[in-house]
This record gives sequence, structure tokens and C-alpha cells, in this order.
Amino acid sequence: MTRQMKLGAFLWATGHHIAAWRHPKAHVTAGIDIDHSIQLARTAEAAKFDMIFCEDAAGLREANVGIASQTSRSIGFEPISLLSALAVQTSRIGLVSTASTSYNEPYGLARTFLSLDRLSGGRAGWNLVTSASPIEAANFGATGLKPHADRYERAREFAEVVTGLWQGGSFLGHDGQSFSVRDPLDLPRSPQGAPVMVQAGASDVGRDLAARTADVVFTAAQTLEEAKAFYDDLKGRMAAYGREPNDIKIMPGVSPVVAETEAEAREKHEELQALIPDDVGVALLSSYLSISDLHRYPIDGPMPELPETEGMKSRQALVVEQSRRDGLSIRQLARHFAGARGHWRIVGTPAQIADELQARFEGGGADGFNVMPSYFPGELDAFATLVVPELQRRGLFRREYEGSTLREHLGLKRPT
Amino acid sequence: MTAGTMMHLAVSPMLYPSPQDASDFRSLASFAQKAEAAGLDMVLLADSAPAADADTRNQQIPFEATTVLAALATVTSRIGLVAAASTVAHQPYNLARRFASLDIISHGRAGWNATVVQNSREAGNLSRPEGFSAADFRRRTEEYIGIVQGLWRGWDADALLFDKVGGHFHDPGKMHLLDHKGEFFSVRGPLNVARSPQDTPVLVLSDVSEADRDMAARTADVILLDGPVGEAKARHDDLKRRVAVCGRDPDAVKLLLSVGADVTADTLDASFRSKSCDGFNIAMPPSALEGFFDRVLPELRRRGLVPQDYRGTTLRAHLGLAGGDQ
Repeated sequence: MTRQMKLGAFLWATGHHIAAWRHPKAHVTAGIDIDHSIQLARTAEAAKFDMIFCEDAAGLREANVGIASQTSRSIGFEPISLLSALAVQTSRIGLVSTASTSYNEPYGLARTFLSLDRLSGGRAGWNLVTSASPIEAANFGATGLKPHADRYERAREFAEVVTGLWQGGSFLGHDGQSFSVRDPLDLPRSPQGAPVMVQAGASDVGRDLAARTADVVFTAAQTLEEAKAFYDDLKGRMAAYGREPNDIKIMPGVSPVVAETEAEAREKHEELQALIPDDVGVALLSSYLSISDLHRYPIDGPMPELPETEGMKSRQALVVEQSRRDGLSIRQLARHFAGARGHWRIVGTPAQIADELQARFEGGGADGFNVMPSYFPGELDAFATLVVPELQRRGLFRREYEGSTLREHLGLKRPT
Repeated sequence: MTAGTMMHLAVSPMLYPSPQDASDFRSLASFAQKAEAAGLDMVLLADSAPAADADTRNQQIPFEATTVLAALATVTSRIGLVAAASTVAHQPYNLARRFASLDIISHGRAGWNATVVQNSREAGNLSRPEGFSAADFRRRTEEYIGIVQGLWRGWDADALLFDKVGGHFHDPGKMHLLDHKGEFFSVRGPLNVARSPQDTPVLVLSDVSEADRDMAARTADVILLDGPVGEAKARHDDLKRRVAVCGRDPDAVKLLLSVGADVTADTLDASFRSKSCDGFNIAMPPSALEGFFDRVLPELRRRGLVPQDYRGTTLRAHLGLAGGDQ
């Protein structure tokens, strides 16, 4: 069979666009309406998406309360409880949630994801993050963010313990630097061997951890060259850990705005962009760059030189590079960035979007995509009804699920 | 009879894992749906890890309890759903957030059963092989519960504005930092989950020792009483007295006596009328459920001890507790 792309439906509150909630057709109460989430999951499942993906932060996204109150991101469902509800309201689609290695214990996390996996009949996955936000740190007694390397060392040990626990009765205990665990889990083994392990860290140490332990890697890449460089680098690291390139599916984020005609798609995009207040756009950009004083620079001037941070090293480099490449002002970059949070945005017709995805997929930049609809439910519906059929016509995406577990959807080996 | 004098009934399913995962959930869902059709106040879901020392309780539910609560919330519509979760397994922020989310998923029917007993086996799996001293654990538990309840109140009920045109999603003045700095934890808050329809999840405390009674009286919505039915009256009176001493309405804390599935209507009636408890938590294998509903429950209803139907939509409403609109 020809190689087909993998697709994730990245659910997030009212939408991935920062002003999504203000869109007239956005479901503004998404963060308190479970029926809305169930409907989105069913839409994604009917379109044969491989998985639903939930991002997470254990805290507010924005420290400035005035800025935060102009976005919909301060409230929403906690993703494990959300996906557990969705597990019994869907039957085929994978369910992947983010959870932090900095603010959990491996035994509890392994057990919770295994429970989700059992509830869903083998459809669960864990997206490992180390948590780069000082807002989160303040909810867990920390006086500040731990250095990047320390967070990743803890994450490496954490992942090793979780993987061992998911192996069931053969787990022999662990006594390490950060964690000690005596017993195997007290639940039966996963229907898919083990939940799927997802990662997103793009720094050097993050890539090594992914090459060693991940089944799926999410990335942010603006151009095919960037995507391909990351793809080749990550797959090249896997041999050192005795793994084959196909053992990891690399799925860059993509934020499409699709309509029947290009003019309609552009109009739709402009409508969203116009809803972004400047202070919100700049604050969001500052937060992703892990700097607090971006608002002090002239909004129509260029991006200032930035020191390397302990937060998100790779994302910062990406954003700054983009502003230099395109000669963008802070306001322009903020608006551009707010739309897709540094991910790849494509605006166009179903055929144009399919062309772009196909070029990345066949050009060696991706095994699939994590689709980030700009607002819900409209843009997920549009992707499902316009783009997915186009991809299916081209033989690039499945028409029916081939298996029943997330590992089967993704074509991943069952762990021994 | 007024609502305050009605008997409250909870059931704790006693399931055994089967090789088929889906059937595990289906049997649990069927159990909860039957309990809902019978009009019971709530289902109490044990969590296997905290009770890993005790073989029988370890086998009650073959899932982690909060995940199964979320799933059950989507296949029931009235009955309360309470999950056990350990104060050692979860950071307080994460636990408060999980239950706040469950409370919204269930439209105000969620509760947290906090065990106040330390479990050495659990500590050994959570990077704390040394555990805590009894005194430290007690102070830690009370601090933990205070944080969780404080975080649950971080958002006012009318904080969300959804004003698309004006660009105001919420009112920042109605979102409150916790800024807790205590002996064991420091938690800034707020939660990133909205206020639920019943304001806060119901706090159920179990395994409350004599030394923990004051703490339970200060914090709990429901206390589960173990031990012989004959000794319940003294414990009930002592706990209610302590509730009053800390300035709370004695009726704001419901005391449920744990009993087995073989209990008779006469026994329940006698305990309740003697004011030994506010109701019962019945440990029930699925095979015993229908027998209880067919024989015991109709008799209790005939005697006017149990309401004919749900009076409200939230667990707090079922239990006659303040909170939410009801």
C-alpha cells in the first residue's frame, strides 16, 4: 500500500487562533461544555483522524490578568478527565493528552494513562512535556523554573520508569536520581501493549530523548527546509538507540484556514486577524519567547535581540528567525504568530491545502500533521468535509480505520 | 418529611477485573445506571492504589478512579459520582484541577473521596519510601485539603462574561489567586478550570480516626463511618458536636454508615431513626444490586425514609448541602 499521512485533531478550547473565541461562529462556551467536545471528537472520528490531541498547562497561560481576560485560555477542561469522557463516547479515534514530567510522579501518571488506555480499548497516548512556564512552577511550590538540562534529565528518567511500568509484571522496580518505584502497576496490561508515547521538544536534548523513547513527535516548522532538516536529524538519531526510522511518526503542526475559494479563505483569515487586540498579540508572543518586556519596544519596530532563555529554546529561535526573514515589525509578528502560535499556517482552497500537505509529506518533511483548527467547530468541520476528502481522493489518507488501537492507526510496532 | 430528614444512600461497587477491558467499563456503567434509576444519591468509586495493602479493596475497580468517573459522567445524568484519589499520588493543584474538571463534565455531580490514612505501599511507589510521620501526615492532609477547597473557589460563579464584541472573556476581578504558602505546599493558583454548577465538588472523607475527627469536622461535606452499626451513634454524636464547635451547621456534614449488601430495611430504619447517621454507604457486588433495589429500597420508600426521586440536578442538591443554584 502507498504510504499514507497520519492526522491529529488538535483540540483547544475555542480554537487555536488567539481571537478564535470572538469569532461570531466560534462556540464560546467550549471550556465548560462537554457536549461540544464530544461533538468535535465524533467529527474527527468520522473523518478518520488518527487521534485527538490535547495540549496542557497546569496553570494560567498568561500572567497579566488584564491580557488573560481578553482570551478564552484561562479556563477549560483538564485533559485526562476530558479524554476519559471522550473515550466512551467514541470507538476508534486515538486520544492523546499532554502531561508534565516536572509536576507528576511516574507511577501515578503511568497508571492514569493505562486506565485511559483500558477505558478506550487501546487508544491512549501520552505527550511528554517538561513544562517551561514559571506560572505553572508557582503552582507546585517551585521558586522558579529548573534549568532546561535538569528538566530533561528528570524527563528522561521519568519516561524510562513509565515505559517500564507499562511493560506490566516484568517491571522490577526503580531506584534512581529523581524517582523510586517499588511495585508493578496494579492494573491489567494495555490492550495495545503500551500507550503511545508522544513528544514535542525540539532542542538538542529534547530530540535525543524523542529518538530514544517517542512513538510520535510533534514539531513546529514554517518551511519545508526547516521541516526536512528536523525530520532528517531526528530520524538520524534513532539508530544510536537501536530503532528504525519508521518507529517514530513526525507530525508537524499545521493551522489551515480553508474555504471553497481562495478569496473566501483569505477573507476568513483576515476576519480572525482583525479580532486580535494588539496587547494580546504582543503578550502571547512574549510568553512564547519567555521574555517579559516585549511591550516596552515600539510595536511598529523590529524584534529586539533576545538572550537565550531557560524556557523554550527551540521555539524562540524559530520565531526570531521568522521575523528577520520576513522583515516583520513586532505588531506584524505578534499577529502572525498569534494565529498559529509559531506553527505553519496555510490559507486556501481544499486543493491548495492538500497540495501543501502533500509536498511536505512526500518531500521528506513529515509523516503526517497535527491539525490546529483556528476556531471550533467551524474550522474542524471545514477540514473534515473539504480537505480530508481531497486527501482521500489522492490516496494520501485512509477512507476507513484499518485497526482498532492507536498503535494500529499509526502503524507502530506493539512493544514486546 | 423534610429533605433534611431523608436518608441518604450511596453505593460502592465491588467489581472484579475481567480479561475484557470493555466489559469492565460496561458492567460499571450498568451498575451506575441502575443505581441512578433507583434514585440513589451517589456511587463511590474506590481507587486501587491507595488500598493496595488490603487485597479485597484493591479489587474494587480495575481502573484509576478519576478516569472512570469522567467516563461514567457521560452515561448517567443525575446520580452523584465520587472518586477516591490519594493526597500522596497527586500534587494538590493537579488533584483540584482534575476534580473541578470532573465536576463540570458531570454538570455538578462530582465528589472527591480523600482517604486520610497513609499507605506505606503507595508511598514506596511514589518516590517517598520513607513516608511521613503520623503527625506530619495529619498536618499535611489538612493543608492539602485546604488548598484544594481554596482552589475550587478561585473563580466566582459569574466570572465568565463571553462578551465577544467587547472582547471580555471573563471578569479579571472575579478570578482569585490562592497565594498559599504553607508548611508542606506553596500554591499560587488560580485553577484554569471554571466554577462548577454546584460551586465545588463534594468532599467525602473516609477512614477518619479519632485524631482526625476535628479536621474532618472542619472540612468535610460527607464522612463515611466504618465499624459496627451498634457503635455508630456515639461516633455520630461526637462528630456532629465537633462540627457545631467549629461553627458549622451540624446538618452541613452528612455522616454515612458503611454497611454490607445483605443489610435489611429494618436495620437501616433503626439506625437512621436513632440518629446514628444521615444515611448509608452500601458495599455492593453487581449481583446484589437488583436484590437491594427490589426488596430493601421499596420498603424504605414505603416507610417514607427515602425520597421518590431526585430533588435537584447536582450532588450537593441530592445530599441537601448548600452550593450552586439549588
